[in-house]
Amino acid sequence: MSDVVLSGVVKRYGRVTALAGADVSVPSGQLTAVLGPSGCGKTTLLRCLAGFERIDGGEIRIDGDRVAGGGRHVPTHRRNIAVVPQEGALFPHLSVADNVGYGLDRAARRSDRVEQVLALVGLAGYGARMPHQLSGGQQQRVAVARALAPRPSVVLLDEPFSALDAGLRAGLRQDVREALRADGATGVLVTHDQGEALSVADKVVVLRDGRVVQAAAPTTVYREPVDPWVAGFVGDAVLLPAVVEQGAARTALGVVPVAGPVTDGPVTVLVRPEQVRFTAGPGAVTATVLRHDFHGHDALVGLRLADGTRITARILDGAAPLSPGGEVSVQVDGAARAFPRDTAVGLPASTVVELAA
Amino acid sequence: MPVTRRRTAGTMLAASLLVLGLAACGSGEEDAAADSGQAADKQITVYSGRNEQLVKPLLDKFTEQTGIAVNARYANTAQLAAQLVEEGDKSPADVFFAQDAGALGTVAKRGMFSTLSEETTAKVPATYRAGNGQWVGVSARARVLAYNADLIQADQLPASVFDLTAPAWKGKVGVAPTNASFQAFVTAIRVQHGDAKAEEFLRGLKDNDPQIRDGNGKILEDVGSGVIPVGLVNHYYLGEIAKEQGTPPDALKVKLHFFPGGDTGALVNVAGVGVLNRAANDPDVQKFVDFLLGTEAQTYFAEQTFEYPVVAGVPGPAYVPALADLAVPQIDLNDLDTLDATVTMIKNSGLVP
Amino acid sequence: MRRLAPRPALLAASTAAVAVALIPLAYLAVRTAEAGWDRIAAELWTERVALLALRSIGLAAVVTTGCVLLGVGTAFLVTRTDLPGRRTFAVLGSLPLAVPTYIAAFSWVSAAPRLEGFWPAALVLTLCSYPYVLLPVAAALRGADPAQEEVSRSLGRSGWQTFTAVTLRQIRPATAAGALLVALYVLADFGAVAILRADTFTRAIFIAFDLGFDRTGALVLSSVLVALTLLLLTGETATRRRGARYAQLGGARRPAPRLSLGAARWPVVAALLGVAGLALGVPAVNLARRLAAGVSRPGALTEVLAAAGNSLTVSLAGAALTMLLALPLGLLASRAPGPLTTVLDRLAYLAHALPGVVIGLSLIFFGINVAYPLYQTHWLLALAYATHFLPLAVGAVVGAAAQSPAGLEEVARSLGRGPWTVLRTVTLPLTLPGIGAGAALVFLAGMKELPATLLLRPTGMNTLATELWTSTAVGAYAAAAPYAALLVLISAVPTWLLVARSGLLDKENLA
Repeated sequence: MSDVVLSGVVKRYGRVTALAGADVSVPSGQLTAVLGPSGCGKTTLLRCLAGFERIDGGEIRIDGDRVAGGGRHVPTHRRNIAVVPQEGALFPHLSVADNVGYGLDRAARRSDRVEQVLALVGLAGYGARMPHQLSGGQQQRVAVARALAPRPSVVLLDEPFSALDAGLRAGLRQDVREALRADGATGVLVTHDQGEALSVADKVVVLRDGRVVQAAAPTTVYREPVDPWVAGFVGDAVLLPAVVEQGAARTALGVVPVAGPVTDGPVTVLVRPEQVRFTAGPGAVTATVLRHDFHGHDALVGLRLADGTRITARILDGAAPLSPGGEVSVQVDGAARAFPRDTAVGLPASTVVELAA
Repeated sequence: MPVTRRRTAGTMLAASLLVLGLAACGSGEEDAAADSGQAADKQITVYSGRNEQLVKPLLDKFTEQTGIAVNARYANTAQLAAQLVEEGDKSPADVFFAQDAGALGTVAKRGMFSTLSEETTAKVPATYRAGNGQWVGVSARARVLAYNADLIQADQLPASVFDLTAPAWKGKVGVAPTNASFQAFVTAIRVQHGDAKAEEFLRGLKDNDPQIRDGNGKILEDVGSGVIPVGLVNHYYLGEIAKEQGTPPDALKVKLHFFPGGDTGALVNVAGVGVLNRAANDPDVQKFVDFLLGTEAQTYFAEQTFEYPVVAGVPGPAYVPALADLAVPQIDLNDLDTLDATVTMIKNSGLVP
Repeated sequence: MRRLAPRPALLAASTAAVAVALIPLAYLAVRTAEAGWDRIAAELWTERVALLALRSIGLAAVVTTGCVLLGVGTAFLVTRTDLPGRRTFAVLGSLPLAVPTYIAAFSWVSAAPRLEGFWPAALVLTLCSYPYVLLPVAAALRGADPAQEEVSRSLGRSGWQTFTAVTLRQIRPATAAGALLVALYVLADFGAVAILRADTFTRAIFIAFDLGFDRTGALVLSSVLVALTLLLLTGETATRRRGARYAQLGGARRPAPRLSLGAARWPVVAALLGVAGLALGVPAVNLARRLAAGVSRPGALTEVLAAAGNSLTVSLAGAALTMLLALPLGLLASRAPGPLTTVLDRLAYLAHALPGVVIGLSLIFFGINVAYPLYQTHWLLALAYATHFLPLAVGAVVGAAAQSPAGLEEVARSLGRGPWTVLRTVTLPLTLPGIGAGAALVFLAGMKELPATLLLRPTGMNTLATELWTSTAVGAYAAAAPYAALLVLISAVPTWLLVARSGLLDKENLA
C-alpha cells in the first residue's frame, strides 16, 4: 500500500518543455489514469516516475521517500516500481514463468507467486510457454503478471492495450483492473483513450501541454469538467453559446438549468448528447434531422437548430425511424454545465460536434 | 523450438570464441620472439625472403652442426626489406637473407648493415657481392628463355633476348614484369646498352603482345602445358617444377635456353645475406655466414634449389651449363639510383600497372 | 527514438576502438608527410594513378553490382519461393565466404591459363564475396513485415512492382551494408587481382614494393585508397539517411507467403547449381587435380596440425579482440544515434580498404614505436585483425543490439534489477547470437588473411595461409593442397553458423 506524489515536476528535452510543473498524486491501492492527447507529456511523466529520465524540477515521492528532485535521482531498479510497456516487451529468450519470475528473488521464484499472478491474469498453466507462442493479448497479460509479481509500490502501465484490437481491449482492461485490485496494487495507467480511462480508473488525471488540468473521479471529470477542452476531450460534447439569467441559460436549445453557482451573463454551456431528448413538451425547440448513425445499442442523430447551430443527440431507441430532412422537437434533460465565455476558445478539434463515434 | 536452439548455438559460439580467443592471446606471450641479440648466446634471428621449403633444411643442418638455434622469419623479400626499414634500430633481426640484390641494397642504403670481413667477402667473386662489403651473394641464378620443346625447335631459338621483339615472337613470349628479377634484367640492358636501347626493348616487348604472368613459376607452368611457347624466367624454376612432378629436369617438355655470347638475356643475379649492425660482432652470426659460403651449403644450393654456387670449387646443378661457361654481363646489382630509373622505365612501358 | 542520456563510458570505449582502427591512417600520415609534397605530387598527379583509380572504382562497382544481384536474387529465392532444396542452396550460397580469393583465382587460372584482366577478376571477386550481401539480405527478408507487400498488391501493384517498390526498400539497409563491405573488400583485395593481373590500386601498391622496394611510393599510393574509401562511405551514409533501419521487435512473426516458381523452378535450380559450381566446384576440382598431379607432400601431420592450430588461435584471438572493440561502438551506434556517433562509426571503416601489407607495416610501426613488448607476438597480430576487420564486427553488433531494444532493458530495470544484472540476463543473451555472427565474420577474414600475417606473426609461427603461400611460391602445389583444403574446411564451420544464424536452416524455411 503506497502513495505516489509528483509535485511540480518539470522535464525539458532541449528547448521543448514536456512537463511544465505537473502535480499528480496517486492514492494507494487504486488505479489512476493519466489521460491526455498525444504530445501532452503523459509518457514523459511515466518515464520520469520510472526513473528512465531525470527531472529538471519539482520532486517525486514514492511511499514518502523522495526518489527524484532536489539533486536526487534514485535509479530505476531501486524505486520499487514495475513497468508494463506498450508492446508488452516480454523477454523473448525466457519462458513465461521466467519472465514473470524475473523481478523476484530466488526464494520468491520458488514460491507459488509466479503461478499466483499468472492465475490473476487468467493464464494459469502457461508458465512453460515461450513468448512467441502467445497471442498479443496473452503477451500483454504476461507483462502485467510480470509487473505484479514482485509486489511493487506502483505498477506503471504505458498504453498497454493500444496495440490490441477493440474487442480484446475491453475484456483485457477489465481483467487487468481486476488483477490489480485483487493484488492490492497501486497502478498508474497512461492512455489517450478517454473511454479506457473512464471505465477502469478510480481516478483520472487529465494532462494538457505538460500540465495537469483536472484530477478527479471519472464521473466528476465527465460530468463536471473544469473547462470546455476537458469536456470535449473526455466525451462527446455539445457546446452552445448562452446567456445566464437567474440560474438558467438561454440557448438555441431552449432554456436550460445550469448546475452550480453561476453569475449572470454570457457563457458557454456543455450539454452531453444523451441529454438531448426527443420530446414535444413545453420548452421544446424544433430541429431538422441531418443524419442518423445507428450503433445498435444507441444511435447518434445530427440535428440543425433553427438558428443554424448543429448539434448531436444520442438516443437509445436507435431503430426509431428518423429520415434526414424531417423535423423533430428536442429538449435538454437535466442541468447543463456553464463556463465563462472566454474559456471556449482553443477547443481541441475533436470537440467540434461530430457524428462519427 | 528452432529459434531457441539457434540462439543457444549462437550464444555458445560467441562465448567460446571470446574465451578461446583470450586464452589464445594469453598463450601467445610465451611465444614472443626470443631476443637473440646477445652475442654468442647460441641463437640468431634470420629474416628470410627465401622460401621456407627451400632453405629450412639448410638452416636445420646449421643448427645441427653448430648448436646455434635459428629463429627464421619467412616472408616476401621486398616486404621483409620494408619491414626491416620500418623496424630500424629496434629490429630483432641479425641477418637478412634475401632473394634479390635490390632488396639488400635498400636495407644497406639505410646504413643498417655492418661491413662484412674481407675474409668472408673474398670467397665470392666481386660480381656477386656489394662493392662496399655490406652484403654478399650466397647463390646465383641465371636469366634464361624457357621453351616448350614440342612447339619450338632448338634451331628456332633466338640468339639474343632482343630478338624477342621481332614479329615472329608476337604473342608467344611469357614475361613476369612485376618480378624483381625482371627489373634487374632491365637494369642490365641499361648498363650494357644504354637507356635508349632499354626503352626500345620494353616498347618492342609491350607491342609484341607478351603473355604477362604474375611470377616465373606460372610462366614455366604455362610453357610446360604449351599455353605459351617461350618465357623469360630464372633458371632454377625448372628444377622446382621437375621436383613437383617427380621427374628429372631432362624429362620435361620445358627446356632452358641460355642466351650465348654475353647477351644481356643471360644476366646472373644473386640471393645473398647482409648482417645487421646489432649483430656485427656476434660470432654466431659470423658462423652462419661462413656456413652459407661453405662447401656443404653451396652444394645444397646446387643440388636442392638448383642454383649456381658462388664459391669456387663447388660444381653447379647437373642440368644447366656451368656458371663459368656463361658470358655474364657486368653490372652493379646494388646500385639503387639505377634501380629507381629502371622501375620508372618499366612503369612507363605499360607492362605493369 | 527517444534521445538517450549521454553515455560517457560507452563514448570513451568507442573512441578507443576507433583509435585502434585509425593506427594505419596515422602511419600513412607520418610516412606520407616524410615523402614531402613534391614526391607526393609526382606520385599522384599522373595519368597512371588516375587510370588505376578509375579501374579500382570500376572493379568495385562491377563486383558490388554483381554481388547485389546475385546476393539479393539468391536470398529471395531461398527465403520467399518454393525453390526445391532451399536450405542446401542457402548453404551453398554462403560457403564461398570460406574460399580465399587467392585460392579461387589460382584455380581459375589453372583451368584457363589465358584468363586475365578486369572481367575475370570481377567474376572471381563476385563469386567469392556475394555471401556478404546474401546473408544480411536473407535475414532481412525473413524479418520483413509481409503486410506491407500485401498492401502494395491490394493497391493494384503487380508482383514485380511490389518487389521493387516495397520489398527492395525493406531490405535496402541490409543490402547497402553488405554492398559497402563488398566494395571495400574489392578495393583491398590483392589475391585475385594479382593472379588475374587486373590493374588496380592495390596491385600497384604491392608492385611498388616488389619491383622497386619503394615503401614511400607504395604508401603514398595507399593514401588514395583511403580517399576512395571516404567516397564510398559518403555514398553509403547518404543511402542510410534516406532509408530508415528496420528492425523486427518481438511480436508474433508471420512468415511471408512463398512465391511459386512454377515452370521456372528447374531452370532456377540449374542456375543456382551453376553459380555454386563456379564458386565452389572450380576450386575444389583444382585442389584435387593439384594433389593428384604433384609428388610434393606437406610436412608431417604435426606440422599441418600446428599450422591449423595457429590459424585457429590467431583468428580466434583476432575475433575476440575485434568484438571487444566493436561492442561499445556498435551499442553506441544503435542506442545513441547522432552526428558524433555517425562520425565514429564511419571512421572505423576507413582502414578497411587498405591492403594487408599496409596494415602489416603500420602495425610494425605501432609495435616498434609504441608497443614494443607486443612486437611479433600473437597480440599484435590480433590487433592487426581488429584494425582491419572492425567494420565487419561493428555492423553485426548494431544488428544484434536491435534484438535487445532499449525498452526491454528499461522493463528489466523497472523490475528491480541493476545495470549489470540486466546486461547479464537480458542484453547479452539476446545480443550474443548477433555478436557471435560478427565474430564468425572476423574469424573467417582472419583465417584467410595473408600479407599482414606474414609481416606480423611471431617469428617461426606458421598458419594455414602462410604454409599455403610457402608451398605455392615454389610450385609445390600438391603440398599446398591439404593446407588449402583445411583452410576452407575450417572456415566452413563459422560459415555454417552464419547461415544458421540468418534463420535459413529453420524448419519454417523448409515448409
